[in-house]
Amino acid sequence: MMTKKIILLSVIIMMIALPSQGEDFFEDISLSARVGYSIGGTAPIIMPASIRKLNSFDLQQNITLGLDAHKRFDGKWGAILGLYLDDKGMRTDAQVKNYHTSIERDGSEISGMFTGDVLAHTRQWMINVPILATYSISSKVDLLGGAYLAYVFSRTFNGYVHDGYMRVGDPTGARIDFGHNIGERGEYNFSKDMRRFQYGLKVGADWHFSRLLGAYADISWGLNGIAQSKFKTIEQTLYPIYGTVGLTYKLK
Amino acid sequence: MNIFKVFAFVVACCLFSSCFQEEALNAEADITQAWVHSENMESTFFSATDTVVNVLYTDSNVVFNARHSADITAMSPYFKITEGATIEPANGSMHDFSNGAVRYTVTSEDGMWHRNYNVSFNKITKTVGDTINYDFENYELNPSSQKYYVWHDELGGGNFGNNWANGNEGFAITAGGTAAANYPTAPLANGYKGAGLCLTTCSTGALGALVKKPIAAGNMFLGSFNVQNALGDALTATLFGIPFDKKPIKVTGYYKYTPGKNYTDLNGNTVTGKTDAADIYAVLYRNQDDKGKAVVLDGTNIKTSPLIAGLAEMPVVKPTTEWTKFEITFIYSSDIDPDILNNRGYSFTVVFSSSIDGALFSGAIGSQLLIDNVQIISSEVQE
Repeated sequence: MMTKKIILLSVIIMMIALPSQGEDFFEDISLSARVGYSIGGTAPIIMPASIRKLNSFDLQQNITLGLDAHKRFDGKWGAILGLYLDDKGMRTDAQVKNYHTSIERDGSEISGMFTGDVLAHTRQWMINVPILATYSISSKVDLLGGAYLAYVFSRTFNGYVHDGYMRVGDPTGARIDFGHNIGERGEYNFSKDMRRFQYGLKVGADWHFSRLLGAYADISWGLNGIAQSKFKTIEQTLYPIYGTVGLTYKLK
Repeated sequence: MNIFKVFAFVVACCLFSSCFQEEALNAEADITQAWVHSENMESTFFSATDTVVNVLYTDSNVVFNARHSADITAMSPYFKITEGATIEPANGSMHDFSNGAVRYTVTSEDGMWHRNYNVSFNKITKTVGDTINYDFENYELNPSSQKYYVWHDELGGGNFGNNWANGNEGFAITAGGTAAANYPTAPLANGYKGAGLCLTTCSTGALGALVKKPIAAGNMFLGSFNVQNALGDALTATLFGIPFDKKPIKVTGYYKYTPGKNYTDLNGNTVTGKTDAADIYAVLYRNQDDKGKAVVLDGTNIKTSPLIAGLAEMPVVKPTTEWTKFEITFIYSSDIDPDILNNRGYSFTVVFSSSIDGALFSGAIGSQLLIDNVQIISSEVQE
């Protein structure tokens, strides 16, 4: 009973208080646009022993476009609600040993333990909504930290195994060799096994170096893996971890 | 800014080499080669090349071919095994092989995986008579996977061999749940007489197309199939020939052939106006090069190697729906050395394929070659 009364009372107070305060509340919200470039990848938190070496890591066109609403509260604290369009891609070639994977197309697959090189290409276009707390350490620099929720509307996760061999099933199974060129390597495509919803943590800093322009850097760390939990082909859960640098422009 | 630094460091660590772990111990447990040193090499083996056996990854039998008169009561075979793996009984230990195979167990370096091998010395009896019949009556589902059929040839005395090979094991990689009867090489319940062979050019599906091997021709040949190369360097997967101590004169048998409708190339594209054709041929070749190294011809050189002594080929396998007799006669390009022949220095193969360009993954899906009652007719070579 007591709780209900308190809630009811709070709602009434808010209904009276908000309209009178409303203009003020929205008055000091600043709007800014940001454009950034991300570098990162999807990786296991702890590298398994089966991944031996990174042969190559190619930069992708990972562009972020965003809009932020920044509300400053009293003192140094504030909050940001954002709406971003993120393109998170990665192309790596890694050397693996006794790494469980499968080569799959249209329902038929060979799975087993692969030793050799694996090229992996991921690309995820997503709508990202960050909710961040801000703290001003000077008049020009804000620290940001919080969470994000993202909806992935375009999913790609493919690649091929090459220059190595697979033991079909387990390490005592038939050995199938793979070469370097098209036709000799084993292609895979796990795109449809990727998650639609991602969430994670984001920390960063904004530097307002002029009245309208600024620079920023942040890191977003996915807390759920990029693949659906029923996906077991790759033993490790792969988390998207990206760092972004870019420019901000104050709209209002 | 501290948390930022920590974060950046952790990310960098996970993306780059600083957190790669120690390499795990090897998980494989293979014998890849076996050999024996024999003081009585001459009386034990036909040739020095018989003292070394290359073991395929799918083999679990290691067979040394020895003379019929050989003393095999105290042999000490050595094995090349996966790095770090151990073998029991010990490498090089002496055993009596006269009571049959000795079982060896290889354990992987990480101790998690084992493979068992039966090592034996096969005392070769000289081929009796001038005619060998292959009727394809003895077949069974592959004992380990039960996915496809394998054939055994009668060796006489109630013994059976594994001299006939085909590409079914390669097809199995991409075949998913295809029934054994629908594999490229399958038994034909009602052949010319008893059971026969049914060789059909099949699609390898989406997976096969990925590795540019869109079709698999039905095939059967004397030799062995190395599935290791089936998806990559496929021409080297067909290892042709078995050591032979006769000079073949001709190969006869019965066939039916129906070419498939739509001839496609390596990329799966239709080649208009081209009709598929079957291939029937036999080869006798010298199985050692001039340096004394063992030679096994494969899909890259079975019709072109300078080591070929004789070739018998059917110029055209005319389509027919009736059982039709074929006879191919050997044409010899070099003289047969009777001493080398007696010491199994020549290898012999007969090859049947439902698509002549099947080794290049071109042909028509549905092309079907039926084979039965094959005879190899040889002559004694006068010494």
